[in-house]
Amino acid sequence: MKADQQLNVCEEQVYKRVFNETSKTIFNYIYYKFGNEEKANDAVQEAFVKLWENCAKVAPEKAKSYLYTVANNLYLNVIKAEKVRLKYADTTLKTTNESPEFIMEENQFKEKLDNALNSLPENQRTTFLLNRIDGKKYAEIAEMEGVSVKAIEKRMHLALKSLREQIDGI
Amino acid sequence: MQDNYLAKWLNDELTDAELAEFKKSEAYETYQKIKATASQLESPEFDMDKAWESIDQTKTVKETKVFILSPFKRFLRVAAVVALLIAGSFFYLSTLNESFSTEYAENKFITLPDTSEVILNAESELAFSKNKWDTNRNVDLKGEAYFRVAKGKKFTVETAQGLVTVLGTQFNIESRENFFEVTCFEGLVSVTINGEETKLPAGNSLMTIAGNSTMSKAMVNGEPSWLSKESSFKSIPLHYVLDELQRQFNVEVNAKNIDTTQLFTGSFSNENLELALKSISLPLQIKFNLDGNKVLFYAEEAP
Repeated sequence: MKADQQLNVCEEQVYKRVFNETSKTIFNYIYYKFGNEEKANDAVQEAFVKLWENCAKVAPEKAKSYLYTVANNLYLNVIKAEKVRLKYADTTLKTTNESPEFIMEENQFKEKLDNALNSLPENQRTTFLLNRIDGKKYAEIAEMEGVSVKAIEKRMHLALKSLREQIDGI
Repeated sequence: MQDNYLAKWLNDELTDAELAEFKKSEAYETYQKIKATASQLESPEFDMDKAWESIDQTKTVKETKVFILSPFKRFLRVAAVVALLIAGSFFYLSTLNESFSTEYAENKFITLPDTSEVILNAESELAFSKNKWDTNRNVDLKGEAYFRVAKGKKFTVETAQGLVTVLGTQFNIESRENFFEVTCFEGLVSVTINGEETKLPAGNSLMTIAGNSTMSKAMVNGEPSWLSKESSFKSIPLHYVLDELQRQFNVEVNAKNIDTTQLFTGSFSNENLELALKSISLPLQIKFNLDGNKVLFYAEEAP
Protein backbone atom coordinates (compact mmCIF):
# COMPACT_ATOMS: atom_id res chain seq x y z
CA MET A 1 0.00 0.00 0.00
CA LYS A 2 2.81 2.33 0.92
CA ALA A 3 4.54 1.81 -2.40
CA ASP A 4 1.26 2.53 -4.16
CA GLN A 5 1.04 6.00 -2.78
CA GLN A 6 4.26 7.02 -4.44
CA LEU A 7 3.28 5.42 -7.71
CA ASN A 8 0.55 7.17 -9.61
CA VAL A 9 -1.84 5.82 -12.17
CA CYS A 10 0.49 6.88 -14.99
CA GLU A 11 2.68 3.93 -14.01
CA GLU A 12 1.85 1.13 -16.42
CA GLN A 13 1.72 -1.48 -13.65
CA VAL A 14 -0.68 0.51 -11.48
CA TYR A 15 -2.87 1.30 -14.45
CA LYS A 16 -2.96 -2.36 -15.53
CA ARG A 17 -3.82 -3.46 -12.01
CA VAL A 18 -6.71 -0.99 -11.80
CA PHE A 19 -7.88 -2.27 -15.16
CA ASN A 20 -7.80 -5.90 -14.06
CA GLU A 21 -9.68 -5.12 -10.88
CA THR A 22 -12.30 -2.78 -12.26
CA SER A 23 -12.99 -3.31 -15.95
CA LYS A 24 -15.37 -6.23 -15.53
CA THR A 25 -17.35 -4.38 -12.86
CA ILE A 26 -17.71 -1.33 -15.05
CA PHE A 27 -18.82 -3.47 -17.94
CA ASN A 28 -21.46 -5.15 -15.78
CA TYR A 29 -22.51 -1.90 -14.16
CA ILE A 30 -23.33 -0.27 -17.50
CA TYR A 31 -24.80 -3.51 -18.83
CA TYR A 32 -27.22 -3.79 -15.90
CA LYS A 33 -28.28 -0.20 -16.46
CA PHE A 34 -28.96 -0.38 -20.18
CA GLY A 35 -28.92 -4.05 -21.15
CA ASN A 36 -26.61 -3.22 -24.04
CA GLU A 37 -23.25 -4.97 -24.36
CA GLU A 38 -21.95 -2.55 -26.97
CA LYS A 39 -22.59 0.43 -24.72
CA ALA A 40 -21.00 -1.39 -21.82
CA ASN A 41 -17.85 -2.10 -23.86
CA ASP A 42 -17.71 1.51 -25.03
CA ALA A 43 -18.07 2.72 -21.46
CA VAL A 44 -15.10 0.62 -20.34
CA GLN A 45 -13.02 1.96 -23.21
CA GLU A 46 -14.01 5.57 -22.63
CA ALA A 47 -13.53 5.45 -18.86
CA PHE A 48 -10.05 3.93 -19.05
CA VAL A 49 -8.83 6.25 -21.79
CA LYS A 50 -10.04 9.22 -19.73
CA LEU A 51 -8.27 7.81 -16.70
CA TRP A 52 -5.04 7.54 -18.71
CA GLU A 53 -5.32 11.11 -19.96
CA ASN A 54 -5.81 12.35 -16.42
CA CYS A 55 -3.58 9.81 -14.72
CA ALA A 56 -1.43 12.48 -13.08
CA LYS A 57 -4.45 14.06 -11.43
CA VAL A 58 -6.12 10.91 -10.12
CA ALA A 59 -4.75 9.21 -7.02
CA PRO A 60 -4.68 5.39 -7.28
CA GLU A 61 -7.16 4.98 -4.43
CA LYS A 62 -9.53 7.37 -6.22
CA ALA A 63 -9.17 5.65 -9.59
CA LYS A 64 -12.15 3.33 -9.16
CA SER A 65 -14.68 5.99 -8.28
CA TYR A 66 -13.25 8.16 -11.07
CA LEU A 67 -13.90 5.34 -13.54
CA TYR A 68 -17.46 4.81 -12.30
CA THR A 69 -18.19 8.51 -12.59
CA VAL A 70 -16.87 8.73 -16.15
CA ALA A 71 -18.78 5.60 -17.23
CA ASN A 72 -21.92 6.88 -15.58
CA ASN A 73 -21.70 10.38 -17.05
CA LEU A 74 -21.16 8.91 -20.50
CA TYR A 75 -24.75 7.75 -20.66
CA LEU A 76 -26.27 10.36 -18.43
CA ASN A 77 -28.09 11.90 -21.33
CA VAL A 78 -28.95 8.72 -23.18
CA ILE A 79 -32.66 8.30 -23.42
CA LYS A 80 -33.61 6.00 -20.59
CA ALA A 81 -36.80 4.89 -22.27
CA GLU A 82 -35.00 2.20 -24.24
CA LYS A 83 -36.56 -1.10 -23.40
CA VAL A 84 -34.09 -3.20 -21.48
CA ARG A 85 -33.71 -6.83 -22.47
CA LEU A 86 -31.05 -8.37 -20.35
CA LYS A 87 -29.85 -11.81 -21.05
CA TYR A 88 -27.88 -13.78 -18.59
CA ALA A 89 -25.54 -16.62 -19.27
CA ASP A 90 -27.59 -19.72 -18.75
CA THR A 91 -26.40 -22.03 -16.06
CA THR A 92 -29.61 -23.97 -15.51
CA LEU A 93 -28.99 -26.49 -18.25
CA LYS A 94 -26.40 -28.40 -16.31
CA THR A 95 -27.03 -32.04 -16.16
CA THR A 96 -28.65 -32.88 -12.91
CA ASN A 97 -30.45 -35.85 -11.51
CA GLU A 98 -33.50 -33.74 -10.68
CA SER A 99 -36.82 -34.78 -12.08
CA PRO A 100 -37.94 -33.19 -15.38
CA GLU A 101 -40.90 -31.57 -13.58
CA PHE A 102 -38.61 -29.89 -11.13
CA ILE A 103 -36.32 -28.61 -13.90
CA MET A 104 -39.28 -27.26 -15.84
CA GLU A 105 -40.57 -25.50 -12.76
CA GLU A 106 -37.16 -24.06 -12.13
CA ASN A 107 -36.94 -22.78 -15.67
CA GLN A 108 -40.36 -21.24 -15.44
CA PHE A 109 -39.39 -19.45 -12.27
CA LYS A 110 -36.20 -18.22 -13.86
CA GLU A 111 -38.10 -16.82 -16.79
CA LYS A 112 -40.43 -15.01 -14.43
CA LEU A 113 -37.47 -13.58 -12.56
CA ASP A 114 -35.86 -12.44 -15.81
CA ASN A 115 -39.01 -10.62 -16.83
CA ALA A 116 -39.40 -9.10 -13.41
CA LEU A 117 -35.79 -7.90 -13.43
CA ASN A 118 -36.23 -6.31 -16.84
CA SER A 119 -39.17 -4.29 -15.67
CA LEU A 120 -37.43 -2.98 -12.54
CA PRO A 121 -36.40 0.67 -12.45
CA GLU A 122 -32.83 1.03 -13.68
CA ASN A 123 -31.28 1.94 -10.31
CA GLN A 124 -32.99 -0.93 -8.45
CA ARG A 125 -31.95 -3.49 -11.06
CA THR A 126 -28.36 -2.23 -11.11
CA THR A 127 -28.13 -2.40 -7.33
CA PHE A 128 -29.68 -5.87 -7.13
CA LEU A 129 -27.48 -7.38 -9.82
CA LEU A 130 -24.26 -5.78 -8.64
CA ASN A 131 -24.92 -7.28 -5.25
CA ARG A 132 -26.15 -10.68 -6.39
CA ILE A 133 -23.94 -11.37 -9.40
CA ASP A 134 -20.81 -9.37 -8.66
CA GLY A 135 -21.03 -9.77 -4.91
CA LYS A 136 -20.56 -6.02 -4.37
CA LYS A 137 -21.17 -4.81 -0.84
CA TYR A 138 -23.81 -2.12 -0.33
CA ALA A 139 -21.06 0.34 0.56
CA GLU A 140 -19.29 -0.30 -2.75
CA ILE A 141 -22.49 0.14 -4.74
CA ALA A 142 -23.18 3.34 -2.82
CA GLU A 143 -19.76 4.64 -3.91
CA MET A 144 -20.39 3.72 -7.54
CA GLU A 145 -23.79 5.34 -7.62
CA GLY A 146 -22.69 8.31 -5.57
CA VAL A 147 -25.41 7.90 -2.95
CA SER A 148 -25.55 6.82 0.70
CA VAL A 149 -25.49 3.20 1.90
CA LYS A 150 -28.98 3.79 3.34
CA ALA A 151 -30.27 4.68 -0.10
CA ILE A 152 -28.79 1.51 -1.54
CA GLU A 153 -30.41 -0.61 1.18
CA LYS A 154 -33.70 1.07 0.35
CA ARG A 155 -33.27 0.31 -3.34
CA MET A 156 -32.42 -3.30 -2.55
CA HIS A 157 -35.48 -3.64 -0.40
CA LEU A 158 -37.75 -2.13 -3.05
CA ALA A 159 -36.14 -4.29 -5.76
CA LEU A 160 -36.83 -7.49 -3.85
CA LYS A 161 -40.33 -6.36 -3.00
CA SER A 162 -41.34 -5.62 -6.58
CA LEU A 163 -39.63 -8.78 -7.89
CA ARG A 164 -41.70 -10.83 -5.51
CA GLU A 165 -44.89 -8.95 -6.34
CA GLN A 166 -44.32 -9.52 -10.05
CA ILE A 167 -43.53 -13.17 -9.64
CA ASP A 168 -46.43 -13.90 -7.30
CA GLY A 169 -48.68 -11.78 -9.49
CA ILE A 170 -49.78 -9.44 -6.73
CA MET B 1 -39.47 -4.72 11.42
CA GLN B 2 -37.25 -2.16 9.76
CA ASP B 3 -38.44 -0.81 6.46
CA ASN B 4 -35.41 -2.16 4.64
CA TYR B 5 -35.44 -5.61 6.22
CA LEU B 6 -35.26 -7.34 2.82
CA ALA B 7 -31.91 -5.73 2.16
CA LYS B 8 -30.73 -6.75 5.62
CA TRP B 9 -31.94 -10.27 5.02
CA LEU B 10 -29.98 -10.63 1.79
CA ASN B 11 -26.95 -9.40 3.69
CA ASP B 12 -27.55 -11.82 6.58
CA GLU B 13 -27.90 -8.90 8.96
CA LEU B 14 -31.32 -9.74 10.48
CA THR B 15 -31.49 -10.66 14.15
CA ASP B 16 -32.72 -14.15 15.00
CA ALA B 17 -36.07 -12.78 16.13
CA GLU B 18 -36.51 -10.77 12.96
CA LEU B 19 -35.53 -13.74 10.84
CA ALA B 20 -38.02 -16.02 12.60
CA GLU B 21 -40.79 -13.48 12.08
CA PHE B 22 -39.87 -13.06 8.41
CA LYS B 23 -39.85 -16.81 7.85
CA LYS B 24 -43.45 -16.99 9.11
CA SER B 25 -44.70 -14.55 6.42
CA GLU B 26 -46.27 -16.13 3.33
CA ALA B 27 -44.01 -14.14 0.98
CA TYR B 28 -40.89 -15.73 2.48
CA GLU B 29 -40.99 -18.73 0.18
CA THR B 30 -40.87 -16.58 -2.97
CA TYR B 31 -38.13 -14.40 -1.54
CA GLN B 32 -36.12 -17.49 -0.74
CA LYS B 33 -36.63 -18.73 -4.27
CA ILE B 34 -35.61 -15.37 -5.77
CA LYS B 35 -32.44 -15.45 -3.73
CA ALA B 36 -31.65 -18.99 -4.81
CA THR B 37 -32.40 -18.38 -8.49
CA ALA B 38 -30.57 -15.07 -8.58
CA SER B 39 -27.46 -16.84 -7.38
CA GLN B 40 -27.44 -18.70 -10.70
CA LEU B 41 -27.51 -15.48 -12.70
CA GLU B 42 -24.41 -14.56 -14.58
CA SER B 43 -23.40 -11.50 -16.47
CA PRO B 44 -22.54 -11.73 -20.19
CA GLU B 45 -19.05 -12.53 -21.32
CA PHE B 46 -16.60 -9.67 -21.09
CA ASP B 47 -13.45 -10.04 -23.15
CA MET B 48 -10.96 -8.33 -20.91
CA ASP B 49 -7.93 -8.90 -23.16
CA LYS B 50 -9.68 -7.42 -26.16
CA ALA B 51 -10.80 -4.40 -24.13
CA TRP B 52 -7.26 -3.90 -22.83
CA GLU B 53 -5.82 -4.11 -26.33
CA SER B 54 -8.10 -1.45 -27.74
CA ILE B 55 -7.52 0.84 -24.75
CA ASP B 56 -3.79 0.35 -25.10
CA GLN B 57 -3.99 1.38 -28.75
CA THR B 58 -6.06 4.49 -28.08
CA LYS B 59 -3.67 5.36 -25.28
CA THR B 60 -0.66 5.35 -27.58
CA VAL B 61 -2.48 7.33 -30.23
CA LYS B 62 -3.46 9.93 -27.66
CA GLU B 63 0.10 10.09 -26.38
CA THR B 64 1.54 10.91 -29.79
CA LYS B 65 -1.25 13.41 -30.30
CA VAL B 66 -0.10 15.26 -27.22
CA PHE B 67 3.26 15.88 -28.84
CA ILE B 68 1.64 17.32 -31.94
CA LEU B 69 -0.63 19.56 -29.95
CA SER B 70 1.75 20.95 -27.37
CA PRO B 71 3.85 23.32 -29.57
CA PHE B 72 0.65 24.80 -30.91
CA LYS B 73 -0.65 25.27 -27.37
CA ARG B 74 2.61 26.94 -26.41
CA PHE B 75 2.30 29.18 -29.45
CA LEU B 76 -1.24 30.05 -28.38
CA ARG B 77 0.01 30.91 -24.92
CA VAL B 78 2.64 33.25 -26.34
CA ALA B 79 0.15 34.73 -28.77
CA ALA B 80 -2.29 35.37 -25.95
CA VAL B 81 0.36 37.18 -23.93
CA VAL B 82 1.42 39.28 -26.91
CA ALA B 83 -2.17 40.16 -27.74
CA LEU B 84 -2.75 41.15 -24.14
CA LEU B 85 0.35 43.34 -24.10
CA ILE B 86 -0.62 45.06 -27.33
CA ALA B 87 -4.16 45.63 -26.17
CA GLY B 88 -2.93 46.80 -22.78
CA SER B 89 -0.37 49.24 -24.12
CA PHE B 90 -2.80 50.53 -26.70
CA PHE B 91 -5.30 51.19 -23.97
CA TYR B 92 -2.63 52.79 -21.79
CA LEU B 93 -1.38 55.05 -24.56
CA SER B 94 -4.84 56.04 -25.64
CA THR B 95 -5.73 57.18 -22.13
CA LEU B 96 -2.41 58.98 -22.01
CA ASN B 97 -3.05 61.17 -25.00
CA GLU B 98 -6.22 63.02 -25.70
CA SER B 99 -6.44 64.10 -29.29
CA PHE B 100 -8.83 66.10 -31.42
CA SER B 101 -8.87 66.72 -35.13
CA THR B 102 -10.95 68.60 -37.65
CA GLU B 103 -11.74 67.88 -41.28
CA TYR B 104 -12.10 70.34 -44.13
CA ALA B 105 -14.71 73.03 -43.41
CA GLU B 106 -14.92 72.14 -39.74
CA ASN B 107 -14.14 74.02 -36.52
CA LYS B 108 -13.94 72.54 -33.05
CA PHE B 109 -14.08 74.08 -29.59
CA ILE B 110 -11.95 72.30 -26.99
CA THR B 111 -11.67 72.95 -23.27
CA LEU B 112 -8.41 71.80 -21.71
CA PRO B 113 -8.25 70.37 -18.15
CA ASP B 114 -7.26 73.79 -16.70
CA THR B 115 -10.22 75.53 -18.43
CA SER B 116 -7.96 76.96 -21.12
CA GLU B 117 -9.85 77.12 -24.38
CA VAL B 118 -8.74 76.11 -27.82
CA ILE B 119 -10.61 76.63 -31.06
CA LEU B 120 -9.36 74.40 -33.82
CA ASN B 121 -9.62 75.68 -37.39
CA ALA B 122 -10.27 73.43 -40.38
CA GLU B 123 -7.99 70.43 -41.05
CA SER B 124 -6.04 70.66 -37.83
CA GLU B 125 -5.01 68.33 -35.05
CA LEU B 126 -4.45 68.91 -31.35
CA ALA B 127 -3.14 66.37 -28.85
CA PHE B 128 -2.16 66.55 -25.21
CA SER B 129 -1.40 64.22 -22.32
CA LYS B 130 -4.19 64.19 -19.78
CA ASN B 131 -2.16 62.35 -17.12
CA LYS B 132 0.80 64.73 -17.06
CA TRP B 133 -1.31 67.86 -17.48
CA ASP B 134 -0.91 69.02 -13.87
CA THR B 135 2.87 69.21 -14.14
CA ASN B 136 3.24 69.86 -17.80
CA ARG B 137 0.91 72.05 -19.84
CA ASN B 138 2.01 70.82 -23.21
CA VAL B 139 0.02 70.42 -26.43
CA ASP B 140 0.93 69.26 -29.91
CA LEU B 141 -0.56 71.18 -32.81
CA LYS B 142 -0.80 70.58 -36.51
CA GLY B 143 -2.65 73.24 -38.48
CA GLU B 144 -4.28 76.33 -37.02
CA ALA B 145 -5.75 77.05 -33.63
CA TYR B 146 -6.63 79.97 -31.40
CA PHE B 147 -5.70 79.70 -27.73
CA ARG B 148 -7.15 81.40 -24.68
CA VAL B 149 -4.80 80.18 -22.00
CA ALA B 150 -5.82 80.27 -18.34
CA LYS B 151 -3.25 81.86 -16.02
CA GLY B 152 -0.88 79.36 -14.46
CA LYS B 153 2.35 77.53 -15.17
CA LYS B 154 4.18 77.60 -18.45
CA PHE B 155 2.01 76.60 -21.38
CA THR B 156 3.77 75.17 -24.41
CA VAL B 157 2.49 74.51 -27.89
CA GLU B 158 4.68 72.25 -29.96
CA THR B 159 4.45 72.37 -33.73
CA ALA B 160 6.61 70.88 -36.43
CA GLN B 161 8.06 74.30 -37.14
CA GLY B 162 8.47 75.91 -33.77
CA LEU B 163 7.76 76.07 -30.10
CA VAL B 164 5.37 78.65 -28.59
CA THR B 165 5.57 79.25 -24.88
CA VAL B 166 3.28 81.47 -22.80
CA LEU B 167 2.15 82.01 -19.23
CA GLY B 168 -1.45 83.03 -19.80
CA THR B 169 -2.69 84.89 -22.81
CA GLN B 170 -4.60 84.78 -26.05
CA PHE B 171 -2.90 83.93 -29.28
CA ASN B 172 -3.34 82.22 -32.61
CA ILE B 173 -1.00 79.75 -34.22
CA GLU B 174 -1.08 78.61 -37.79
CA SER B 175 1.32 75.91 -38.73
CA ARG B 176 0.88 74.68 -42.30
CA GLU B 177 3.37 73.35 -44.79
CA ASN B 178 6.22 75.91 -45.06
CA PHE B 179 3.98 78.44 -43.36
CA PHE B 180 4.09 79.34 -39.71
CA GLU B 181 2.33 82.28 -38.12
CA VAL B 182 1.85 83.24 -34.48
CA THR B 183 -0.33 86.19 -33.56
CA CYS B 184 -0.44 87.44 -29.98
CA PHE B 185 -3.61 89.24 -28.87
CA GLU B 186 -2.91 89.58 -25.16
CA GLY B 187 0.08 89.17 -22.85
CA LEU B 188 3.46 87.96 -24.06
CA VAL B 189 4.28 84.98 -26.20
CA SER B 190 7.67 83.43 -26.71
CA VAL B 191 8.23 81.78 -30.08
CA THR B 192 11.19 79.49 -30.66
CA ILE B 193 12.02 78.58 -34.24
CA ASN B 194 15.13 76.49 -34.87
CA GLY B 195 16.41 77.31 -31.38
CA GLU B 196 16.02 81.06 -31.93
CA GLU B 197 13.67 82.70 -29.46
CA THR B 198 11.49 85.72 -30.30
CA LYS B 199 9.39 87.59 -27.74
CA LEU B 200 6.06 88.57 -29.19
CA PRO B 201 4.12 91.25 -27.25
CA ALA B 202 0.37 91.76 -27.62
CA GLY B 203 -0.67 93.18 -31.00
CA ASN B 204 2.16 91.56 -32.89
CA SER B 205 2.32 88.79 -35.37
CA LEU B 206 5.28 86.69 -36.44
CA MET B 207 5.12 84.97 -39.79
CA THR B 208 7.59 82.58 -41.34
CA ILE B 209 7.21 81.63 -44.97
CA ALA B 210 9.72 79.13 -46.27
CA GLY B 211 12.23 80.08 -43.55
CA ASN B 212 11.91 83.89 -43.88
CA SER B 213 10.46 85.57 -40.81
CA THR B 214 8.59 88.87 -40.79
CA MET B 215 6.95 90.75 -37.94
CA SER B 216 3.72 92.65 -38.43
CA LYS B 217 1.13 94.45 -36.35
CA ALA B 218 -2.14 92.93 -35.25
CA MET B 219 -5.07 94.19 -33.23
CA VAL B 220 -4.60 94.26 -29.45
CA ASN B 221 -7.32 92.36 -27.56
CA GLY B 222 -8.63 91.19 -30.89
CA GLU B 223 -9.40 87.78 -32.17
CA PRO B 224 -8.24 86.00 -35.28
CA SER B 225 -10.64 86.77 -38.11
CA TRP B 226 -11.48 83.12 -38.74
CA LEU B 227 -13.34 83.05 -35.45
CA SER B 228 -15.83 85.44 -37.04
CA LYS B 229 -16.06 83.25 -40.11
CA GLU B 230 -13.60 85.22 -42.20
CA SER B 231 -10.07 84.48 -43.39
CA SER B 232 -7.79 87.51 -43.57
CA PHE B 233 -4.43 87.86 -45.27
CA LYS B 234 -1.81 90.56 -45.33
CA SER B 235 0.82 90.26 -48.06
CA ILE B 236 0.57 86.51 -48.27
CA PRO B 237 1.53 84.53 -51.38
CA LEU B 238 -1.60 83.58 -53.27
CA HIS B 239 -1.11 79.81 -53.06
CA TYR B 240 -1.43 79.91 -49.24
CA VAL B 241 -4.66 81.84 -49.71
CA LEU B 242 -5.94 79.21 -52.12
CA ASP B 243 -4.93 76.45 -49.71
CA GLU B 244 -6.95 78.12 -47.00
CA LEU B 245 -9.93 78.44 -49.33
CA GLN B 246 -9.68 74.73 -49.99
CA ARG B 247 -9.62 73.99 -46.28
CA GLN B 248 -12.52 76.23 -45.37
CA PHE B 249 -14.95 75.07 -48.04
CA ASN B 250 -13.77 71.54 -48.74
CA VAL B 251 -13.39 72.26 -52.43
CA GLU B 252 -10.65 71.39 -54.88
CA VAL B 253 -8.89 74.59 -55.95
CA ASN B 254 -6.81 74.83 -59.11
CA ALA B 255 -5.13 77.74 -60.82
CA LYS B 256 -4.32 78.13 -64.49
CA ASN B 257 -1.97 80.74 -66.03
CA ILE B 258 -1.78 82.59 -62.73
CA ASP B 259 1.29 83.56 -60.72
CA THR B 260 0.44 82.03 -57.33
CA THR B 261 3.48 83.58 -55.68
CA GLN B 262 2.04 87.10 -56.02
CA LEU B 263 1.08 88.61 -52.68
CA PHE B 264 -2.53 88.89 -51.60
CA THR B 265 -3.97 91.26 -49.04
CA GLY B 266 -7.59 90.96 -48.16
CA SER B 267 -10.07 88.55 -46.68
CA PHE B 268 -12.79 86.12 -47.68
CA SER B 269 -15.92 84.79 -46.06
CA ASN B 270 -15.74 81.29 -44.64
CA GLU B 271 -19.48 80.83 -45.06
CA ASN B 272 -20.37 81.94 -48.56
CA LEU B 273 -18.28 80.34 -51.27
CA GLU B 274 -19.58 82.57 -54.07
CA LEU B 275 -18.68 85.66 -52.07
CA ALA B 276 -15.31 84.24 -51.10
CA LEU B 277 -14.43 83.47 -54.71
CA LYS B 278 -15.30 87.01 -55.72
CA SER B 279 -13.27 88.44 -52.84
CA ILE B 280 -10.21 86.69 -54.20
CA SER B 281 -10.74 87.06 -57.93
CA LEU B 282 -11.85 90.70 -58.17
CA PRO B 283 -8.83 92.43 -56.60
CA LEU B 284 -6.45 90.21 -58.60
CA GLN B 285 -8.42 90.71 -61.81
CA ILE B 286 -8.72 87.01 -62.50
CA LYS B 287 -11.74 84.85 -63.29
CA PHE B 288 -13.06 81.75 -61.60
CA ASN B 289 -15.18 78.81 -62.64
CA LEU B 290 -17.13 76.76 -60.06
CA ASP B 291 -18.10 73.26 -61.07
CA GLY B 292 -19.49 71.06 -58.30
CA ASN B 293 -16.77 71.11 -55.68
CA LYS B 294 -14.05 72.09 -58.10
CA VAL B 295 -12.85 75.67 -58.46
CA LEU B 296 -10.65 76.84 -61.29
CA PHE B 297 -9.02 80.29 -61.23
CA TYR B 298 -7.73 81.50 -64.56
CA ALA B 299 -6.32 84.66 -66.11
CA GLU B 300 -8.80 87.03 -67.70
CA GLU B 301 -7.05 86.99 -71.05
CA ALA B 302 -7.07 83.21 -71.23
CA PRO B 303 -9.55 81.73 -73.67
